Amino acid sequence: MPRTMKILVIEGEEIILKSITKALKSGANAEYAVTTANTALDGLRLIRNSTFDAIFVDAALAGLNSAEVLRRIKNTSPSVSVILMSGYLSGISFPDEASRDVDGFLSKPFTTDEIRSLVSRILVERNGQ
Amino acid sequence: MKLTAKLKHISISTRISILLGLIILVTMGIFSAVSLMKQQRDSVDALSRSTLLLSQTTEKILRLSMLKNRRDEISTAIKDIVENEGIRSVRILNHEGIIKFSSRHSELNEHISRTNRLCTNCHVGRDSTSIHAVSSFYSYHFDERNGIIYSSLPIYNSPDCYNSDCHATTRQEPSLNIEKPGIGPEVHPVHDSSQTILGFIEIEVSAKRIMTNLDKSRSQLILLTILIALAASTIVYFSIRYLVGKPVRRLVDGTRRVAQGDFNNDIPSGEAELGVLVDSFNKMQRQLLSTQSQLIESEKLASVGKLADGIANEISNPLTGIIIYTESLIAQSKLGNDEKADCQTILQEALKIRESVRNILSLARKEKPRFVPVDIDTTIRHAVSVLEKLSDFRNIRVIVSVPKDLQHVSADPGMMEQVFLNLLMISSENIAAGGILNVSAVNMSKENKIEIRFAHSGRGIPDNVLHALTKQNAGPDFENIERTKISLTVCREIVALHKGRIYAGSEPGTATSIVIELPA
Repeated sequence: MPRTMKILVIEGEEIILKSITKALKSGANAEYAVTTANTALDGLRLIRNSTFDAIFVDAALAGLNSAEVLRRIKNTSPSVSVILMSGYLSGISFPDEASRDVDGFLSKPFTTDEIRSLVSRILVERNGQ
Repeated sequence: MKLTAKLKHISISTRISILLGLIILVTMGIFSAVSLMKQQRDSVDALSRSTLLLSQTTEKILRLSMLKNRRDEISTAIKDIVENEGIRSVRILNHEGIIKFSSRHSELNEHISRTNRLCTNCHVGRDSTSIHAVSSFYSYHFDERNGIIYSSLPIYNSPDCYNSDCHATTRQEPSLNIEKPGIGPEVHPVHDSSQTILGFIEIEVSAKRIMTNLDKSRSQLILLTILIALAASTIVYFSIRYLVGKPVRRLVDGTRRVAQGDFNNDIPSGEAELGVLVDSFNKMQRQLLSTQSQLIESEKLASVGKLADGIANEISNPLTGIIIYTESLIAQSKLGNDEKADCQTILQEALKIRESVRNILSLARKEKPRFVPVDIDTTIRHAVSVLEKLSDFRNIRVIVSVPKDLQHVSADPGMMEQVFLNLLMISSENIAAGGILNVSAVNMSKENKIEIRFAHSGRGIPDNVLHALTKQNAGPDFENIERTKISLTVCREIVALHKGRIYAGSEPGTATSIVIELPA
């Protein structure tokens, strides 16, 4: 039996937090434990206190610049996989050097399949390492 | 100051025509004056020569009469000569300056002054011995004021004159009155052999006619000069107005229009240098117009892009919720079939919104593709999997046939998926329930390309929609937002960015396939 994958979602919009939780938990084999954070600071605090396999970060977080959030995540937890979420198309306002540390992009709006296959791909890659 | 300011407003045509008139007046005036002077000189010369001839003839005719001292004959001859037109008087003087014969009786035996031209021609001052070095004693004088030519021919001494005694004999006749003062009536020759000149025949000829003719010519020339100057000035004035003034006025009007922002009126093409100027003005105007419309277009695009971005971000979060929650409902087994179908319709429409917004954004943002090797098979299958759950897709069969050895293409995977999603949606909308949608891809090794074909059984895609594929002067038409057209425009732009080609694969009006060629 595979261990439960721990996933953190940092996103200002409640509906996205709920949707991701629903999409990842409603599957037949719900092996994901989803934690959510409403702000970047909350998210960073959570990272310091526990370990996650993957973190979803919104590219347009209020408060901190998302490149700064990414840097801090990687400082605290270098091995974690990071997925950047943005409204439609990716990386518009995102510096190239920061996007190198990103393991995947998720363009909103997304479907259940899209987020699930992205998460499985990333976890397969992590297990393969 | 005021005058110079006023002068500045005198038109070029006026200036040039006045200048030309002045030039003609001056040059023709000089020319006329010179030629009139020459004409006068020539006429006077000719008249003088003929007078000389007359003098010589007279001298020859009268020589015998003079030798024989036949005074009547001489007087009669002189009278006869004067009767000819233009001859004013004829006189014969002796060397002492006494008028011996004259057609004017009143001056007979008068002594001419020592300062008279006849004397000073040869003699210097009052000294009778010193003589000018003269080649000929014949002379004439033209009195320009009165129009009279005085021609004087010397009567030379000859052996006849000083040897012949006939003259001397006749001198003794008491009736004659030709003696010099102090000379007695002795018998001896009248003329000494040492004398060179015995006297003069002087003829006065009127040059009035010549002068009158010259005056007439002068007036005619002045009139002609003025007429020519006026005519030339007038012709030049109107030519310049027509050839320069009119086109320049048009150009000035054109620049005013352009200054007011009206770029739409071409100036009618002209001739010569101004024609070239007009052409380049029109060209400049068109370039300005196109630059302006490009600016307007890009400003419009930028603002539409911003607006679309804002809307898209606002929509993306709630739309995610709709999609995920609907999918979750569909996945629940306790729902009845009708409810499931309803949920599928909601999902389908939500996904349509997602694609529409994505298409509008991709037109407005004009992003550059990020090229990576793309496996077309995976991308197509993923696009199909996104749409499979939709009710439109439930009723048709999608057959994907891609060879295992299909070459990878260098492309932006997101953009490629967008193209495939758009084409799948368009095709599905034109297929009746139970129809088949064939998605196939082949290597075109010779041309180093791959070809992807979306073919369906069903009605053709309408022509007016297909125009979006071939529309030149690419650019989104935001005034005519129609989902299918925008989808096709996006496909065309993305394929163009990938240096590929997209076209309708069958006859217009019955198009049931769309083909994409991409460089491998």
